[in-house]
Amino acid sequence: MDSLIIFLVLLALGFVFGKLAESRHYRSIQAREEMLVRLPATSCKKPMGNSTPISHAELVHGHVVISVDYFKQILAGLRNLFGGTIQAYETLLDRARREAVLRLKESCPTANEILNLRIETSSISKGGGDRIGSVEVLAYGTAIYYQQASSQHSRS
Amino acid sequence: MNYQPSLPEHNDNVSHQHPVREFFVLITGVLAFVLMGYWALGFFVDIAVGYLSPEQEAQLFSKVNIDWDFGEESMPEEQAKLQSLVAAFKPCLSLPYPITVSLVKSEAVNAMAVPGGKMVVFSGLLDAVSSTNGLMFVLAHELGHFKNRDHLRLMGRGIVLSILAMLAFGGDAGISDILASTINLRTAKYSQSRESQADHTALQALHCHFGHVGGATELFEALKSQEKGFDFEMLHYFSSHPELQQRIDDLRQLAQELGYSAKGTKKLMKQ
Repeated sequence: MDSLIIFLVLLALGFVFGKLAESRHYRSIQAREEMLVRLPATSCKKPMGNSTPISHAELVHGHVVISVDYFKQILAGLRNLFGGTIQAYETLLDRARREAVLRLKESCPTANEILNLRIETSSISKGGGDRIGSVEVLAYGTAIYYQQASSQHSRS
Repeated sequence: MNYQPSLPEHNDNVSHQHPVREFFVLITGVLAFVLMGYWALGFFVDIAVGYLSPEQEAQLFSKVNIDWDFGEESMPEEQAKLQSLVAAFKPCLSLPYPITVSLVKSEAVNAMAVPGGKMVVFSGLLDAVSSTNGLMFVLAHELGHFKNRDHLRLMGRGIVLSILAMLAFGGDAGISDILASTINLRTAKYSQSRESQADHTALQALHCHFGHVGGATELFEALKSQEKGFDFEMLHYFSSHPELQQRIDDLRQLAQELGYSAKGTKKLMKQ
């Protein structure tokens, strides 16, 4: 009986705090995406359109590790029994992917374009006994900087 | 090719179904499925118990030496007395095998039927009853469990439950707990019905031995006066034994139906 009460309390805590963390994260993601939408990040291998000469290019990356809350972990465990889409994990991966791309963009705010954007996912503690449901998403790509008309370099 | 800065209007990568609803749908499905399985397997346990002969049971459990860890058995005189009281029921109860009584020093007011024909009596019981009749009713109740083979039924169900929980969830403690609690309710209900049946067997044995059923409800009444002041209504739902008042009422009603009378009881000699 005791362990059931503890379990239900953990479930409720997981649900409430997981929900709070998720909606706060989404608000932050949306605001930053709007700010950074002018920096193109594509999976193209060559710069788009204009033939502006490129001064230099660099490898940039952004990564994030996010964990699910207890409630979602249990929900996903139940879903494992029946099969079907694990909707509980969808927001986790969506948030992680968008956050990783945002961090990548934030690491090179003066770049003109990001080429060859790749996103990779790996689960932390895969197959571990404690079953922490957390993912790492790594986004990496090539940031390119156009040659400036003036002598001033875009990056100091 | 020009870059058009824009953000998608909708997030199509996440579902918008409410997770709590999904949780309840899934957990209800799991519990319904497991309860059905448990009920069906419990049915098979009952059938299997019918096929397990007393000799096979004795053979099966003679090799299993369970360390019950109830403390020291250090009251040989009292234990011998209990053994003789149990033996006195021989003409009244057709038992499948001889029962060995173990008296264990403990404050618990309880007695248990253990597979293999062993009855464990806690010394707290001897302090709680004041008459031989009251004590013999409790002993007859445990003998009733042996007669009805309830110890095997409950153990079989326990094994089924552990296997089910292990198969379904492995190490996932949380869900196993929900499952265990739900099934405990069912087991409690089942066990309450077995307890009532053992009470009935005991009442008949008591009447057969003494010619009356005085003292049958003595222990329950003593326990009831102890638990006064607590709200046991909720707890009763989780309990493996029926509520005390219910048991007293049932026994009185049964005694009336069978035409058993209650006369004076013999005082229990205590050392």
